Amino acid sequence: MDDPLVIGGHAFGSRLFLGTGKFASTRTMVEAVKASRTELVTVALRRFNREQAEDDLFGPLSELKNVRLMPNTSGAMNAREAIRAAMLGRELSKSPFVKLEIHPNPHHLLPDPIETYEAAIELARQGFLVLPYIPADPVLAKRLEDVGCSAVMPLGAAIGTGKGLATAEMIKIIVRDTNVPVIVDAGLRSPSDAACALEMGCSAVLVNSAIAAAEQPAAMAAAFKTGVEAGRAARLAGLMPTSEIAQASSPLTSFLSAND
Amino acid sequence: MTKPLPDWLDPERWIALSQCVDKAAIHAAILSENPAERELALMLSPGAGEFLELMARRAQAITRRHFGRTISLYTPLYLSNFCNGGCLYCGIAADRRAKRAVLDEAQLRHEMEAIKKMHLEELVLLTGERMPEADLPYLRECIAIAAEYIHNVNIEVFPMEEQEYRQLADAGCTGVTLYQETYDQAAYERLHRWGDKRDFFKRLDAPDRALRGGLRTIGIGALLGLSDPRFDILCVYRHAKHLLKNYWQAGVSISFPRIRPQMGGFQPDHPVDEKMLAQFIFALKICLPETPLVLSTRESPRVRDGMAGLGISKMSVASKTTVGGYSEDTEESTEQFEISDERGIPEFCAMLRSKGLEPVFKNWDATYRDPAHYAANR
Repeated sequence: MDDPLVIGGHAFGSRLFLGTGKFASTRTMVEAVKASRTELVTVALRRFNREQAEDDLFGPLSELKNVRLMPNTSGAMNAREAIRAAMLGRELSKSPFVKLEIHPNPHHLLPDPIETYEAAIELARQGFLVLPYIPADPVLAKRLEDVGCSAVMPLGAAIGTGKGLATAEMIKIIVRDTNVPVIVDAGLRSPSDAACALEMGCSAVLVNSAIAAAEQPAAMAAAFKTGVEAGRAARLAGLMPTSEIAQASSPLTSFLSAND
Repeated sequence: MTKPLPDWLDPERWIALSQCVDKAAIHAAILSENPAERELALMLSPGAGEFLELMARRAQAITRRHFGRTISLYTPLYLSNFCNGGCLYCGIAADRRAKRAVLDEAQLRHEMEAIKKMHLEELVLLTGERMPEADLPYLRECIAIAAEYIHNVNIEVFPMEEQEYRQLADAGCTGVTLYQETYDQAAYERLHRWGDKRDFFKRLDAPDRALRGGLRTIGIGALLGLSDPRFDILCVYRHAKHLLKNYWQAGVSISFPRIRPQMGGFQPDHPVDEKMLAQFIFALKICLPETPLVLSTRESPRVRDGMAGLGISKMSVASKTTVGGYSEDTEESTEQFEISDERGIPEFCAMLRSKGLEPVFKNWDATYRDPAHYAANR
């Protein structure tokens, strides 16, 4: 595996992670997962349904080869609920990963930094590999790294909005200052958004709505794969610096002498 | 006696716009980046009818972004149709010659077993007005029993006090549905002839009390046809905004029950036709992108199939409006209203799938039920 992404000691060949909600059918979702070549998908505990095979997202996902499951706590409104959901998710999936997401407002689904921080402390203590979904807050990211999170997942924009990297300036600071992988989660609309995130130095992106709500989800998943690969390759290749002014061919300062 | 509507609700400033005929203004409203009351009123206007297709497209795109290609399913279960209410439009009002029934514990368990077999995980328990046969202790027990079987138990009953709602939340109730019926006080007085329900403001404030009492979700709506539907939809919108602003952790959903003229039945003063219903749903979706909009089996299969995913992201299915009705040992009773879509779950889900929509039975887990969570809100 060239250039693997390592999270909590586990190596991933793909830097594209997928969410599994919002798809028109389990079949479309599985096709998108396959087309994306992702190796990590997140699935909501609230969509685990052992009573009804057709409604259950967990069963079909657990059969995919080379794809790890990361249960998420979506639906939890506070730390206690998230911790309970994480434990149940671990039991059902046998996965050490948990996407910690706590959104007390069920409409905009923005993450609660205070409850997330408290839950992260407890889950990390219990041996989970915690990937918290957070506001793009550089201080919070450091605090979560300090309590043992395996990565941080700042949002690009609110879930489902497709507004792209609206928080780009904060994400750049998080990337600069954080030692754990930074994964942009939520808000991305296009493969170019994903490429931008990787160019900025983010380690990976997590995408759901942009693929599930596309006209052709599997084709869009493949496009995101390409976008992520291009962004990562560009990051490694070293982007040329941007400049406000043109490089003058005749320097303005050549009249200055070094030995007057 | 009417008294003024509270400022947070009164749509007076915008009501004239809901009759606007300026096409350019209506078109701009539909495409507005930040639609609010003004744009909503314009989109509700008769003149907006000619932009129905544009509104449908925008509503569909918004629905897809926020809810994906999925439709959440639930079903109602009538616990009792005993009622002392005087609602002119209702099939189980006190003066109707209705066959009355109430479920006892054994019957409720049979119903729950039948509902569980249908794989449903979200339920609304219904009663009439507060009666000795179906009072608070009875409801509390029914909720606790239902919650043994499925994850998401809601109620649609009479308005209660905050501490009563809290008892229901503690028993395992997730949410409350309570329609104001109409926000037009004069019509409200005329239509609700006697009883506790005549108190317009006690009903209006009940969603606030329910959310303060620890319920997670609230469903509101107006019974379309009882008064000027444009006035009522503007009020529904403002009511939703009020709840969203004041109870920021609450899930607010909106339903669109519509009364249609029936042979020999109640004749609505302001009938709402299919196109108006669709227009109102699209308009609200454009103004409230993140709010689930609900369509029940009051509507025909044709309308439901067409509206699924066009603003609508949640639907009832396989509904009965008689008491019980899902298990085989149900006694006969009178239904509250006539169901227009009698399809069973396999048939309805096959339709959704053929339209590229995934039926979602379970979208909440009882793991999340944490009464202590609400302590901070009290």
